[in-house]
Amino acid sequence: MKRSISAVLGIAVAASMVLSGCGGDGDSAEGGGLKLTLAGWSLATTPEFKTLADGFHTANPDVTVELKEYDASNYDTQMIADLSAGKAPDVFVQKNLKNFYTYQNGKQLLDVSDVAGQLGDKAGGMANYQVDGKTYAVPYRNDGWVLYYNKGLFDKAKVAYPDGSWTWDDYAAAAKKLSTGLKSAGSQALGTYQHNWQSTIQGFAAAQTPGANWETGDFSYLKPYYVRALDLQKAKAQVDFGTETTNKLTYQAQFGKQSAAMMVMGTWFIATLRAQQEKGDADKFEWGIAPAPQFDKSTTGTAKTPVTFGDPTGLGINAGIDKKKVDAAKKFLAYAAGPQGSKALAGIGITPADTKSVTADFFTLSGVPNDDVTKFAFGTRETKPENPVSKHTAGLLNVLNDLHTAVMSGTKDVDTAIAEAQTRAKNEVLNK
Amino acid sequence: MAVILPARRRPARRVVRNTAIGWSFILPNFVGFGVLTLVPVALLFYYAFTDWNIFGGAQWSGLANFEQMAGDSSFWTALRNTFYYTAVHVPLTLAVSLGLALVLNRKLRGVAFFRTVAFFPYITAIVAAAQVWNMLFSPDFGPINEFLRGLGVDHPPGWTVSAGWAMPAVILVGVWRDMGYYMLIFLAGLQTVPAQLHEASTIDGANAWQRFWNVTLPCLRPTTFFVTVMLTIGSFKVFDVILLMTDGGPGQSTLVLSQYVFQKGFEENQFGYASAVSIVLFAICFLVTILQFVVNKRREA
Repeated sequence: MKRSISAVLGIAVAASMVLSGCGGDGDSAEGGGLKLTLAGWSLATTPEFKTLADGFHTANPDVTVELKEYDASNYDTQMIADLSAGKAPDVFVQKNLKNFYTYQNGKQLLDVSDVAGQLGDKAGGMANYQVDGKTYAVPYRNDGWVLYYNKGLFDKAKVAYPDGSWTWDDYAAAAKKLSTGLKSAGSQALGTYQHNWQSTIQGFAAAQTPGANWETGDFSYLKPYYVRALDLQKAKAQVDFGTETTNKLTYQAQFGKQSAAMMVMGTWFIATLRAQQEKGDADKFEWGIAPAPQFDKSTTGTAKTPVTFGDPTGLGINAGIDKKKVDAAKKFLAYAAGPQGSKALAGIGITPADTKSVTADFFTLSGVPNDDVTKFAFGTRETKPENPVSKHTAGLLNVLNDLHTAVMSGTKDVDTAIAEAQTRAKNEVLNK
Repeated sequence: MAVILPARRRPARRVVRNTAIGWSFILPNFVGFGVLTLVPVALLFYYAFTDWNIFGGAQWSGLANFEQMAGDSSFWTALRNTFYYTAVHVPLTLAVSLGLALVLNRKLRGVAFFRTVAFFPYITAIVAAAQVWNMLFSPDFGPINEFLRGLGVDHPPGWTVSAGWAMPAVILVGVWRDMGYYMLIFLAGLQTVPAQLHEASTIDGANAWQRFWNVTLPCLRPTTFFVTVMLTIGSFKVFDVILLMTDGGPGQSTLVLSQYVFQKGFEENQFGYASAVSIVLFAICFLVTILQFVVNKRREA
């Protein structure tokens, strides 16, 4: 009896090992060259990974880059699982800065300081990946938040286009003027659209307010930004939060279908909007981008550098990579973040980390506006990280997201919500 | 001796073979269960006493996670909300599904159609259903509030975007989703109620209510017990409906324990702490189920 149990258990263990697939992966491609694996998401709609992989292979025919697809919304969860199982690709993307700490602190990233040194200071956002003087990833795209506006709707409401001189108060005044102007012109469109993400308010507040630092546990810097947004909601110059969340409005449709005359959004939307207008998913209309509205007059105007936020997207090397492949992987990183990669990315409408060097190429693309304010907004900005990198990031984000939904839905007033969030941050997150 | 030995061995060998055959029958299921459920659950009890954060080793931290939980106001909010959901969802679903079963147990025209209709929510993809419900609940443009305004309610509730009404809205959807499934179980239970008892009590002059109370309900007790246990465990574990409809919001007004576990574990990578919270959830389910068994036993006696 006993023997039979152990025999059966033995079979069970063997079977489970077969089922879980304990097999080795081949390292070399068919051509005998080296094969690198690169993580990506939604490959059908996100062409950047293939563009980089193919571009690198053309430049280095002896190395093939193979893509491994992940789910876009569960990318980090799946990547963490793969890394801890030792099955992650050689090169993986830092989709946002929020989880960089997890990877770096978890010793999953190879030190790539030499690649960073090679790239110099051209690639924007590099500093975010530096810990104790060492660099653990290099940025290949660096999006920042800007103001999109619909020229047709502005004309209809007889409001002057944004010219880069706007503070948030100017923006709010324009939104109200647009709403009334559009209404009297017989249009259903509202002045502006603010997506329901916490970053649309908190990102700007943290990046622009002097001295704002959430690690101190003082969130009072959020207040003016929330007061303004609530006021716009109340004045019906933007869709209210309840309608937004219950009807799952998408920002692509709100702006692309001309339901709003303006919208703050990241530069990644340029490529999307352009593609959607070409395919007919969005209406065809004239649009432009302007610098994001500013905290005060000290950073407005085209002679100054507007302050905004945005996370770079970076590439890091799996610490568990095969030693033979390290050099090729580093070469790939240098390619993606360097001028060649930047040029390739700009060719498909993506904002590369080295933004300035591709501005000229970028605006030759069809369907991209090329007025001076748009060019300025694209090429000139001080982009601060959406979230400072630390072990508290994920926890603070959750606390502040609760604040965001409570305030924007009108469930709690701003002061109460901020006070509660501060208490929670102190007791639940910052004490660790 | 020489004659007896093989005779003795043969049954022994047969026992071994039979056992092996038996094991091989449950093996496919058991391997899956063991690898995907049993081992992770066993590990969970270990991780709850560590500070594991996915990468690297899990450092033993003793009761630190549980001490942290005691002072964690979000945990208490989640616990309160979980009890709120359960306390309303269980009796409501029980009543609605039993009512449906009683109505659909008669000889009606098109009863199969109505049974299908009642069962439909259960097989509808919850992602789609939650989205449609969310639109119905939309405070300004949703049909539900349009209807309420039509009835003369000046300030209809904000439903999923108001702190006070978000939980009732979610419970309503929970009841709607579960009623069909438990109705089916009640329907099966109703088939076991002997018709003679009903006949006899009718002859004795019992009215419909008395028959329900004194005949149907006692005969249904095993079914009711099963449904209550399943419903209670299901309510304590509620996750998908809330995640899809409100994501715990607005603020923390619909945050429940299982979602808190998800947040701490998969969003903040505090797997040790998340494991500790899920042990609390497990303990609650376990204790409540034991309590229900005890009460049921006492009633039976």
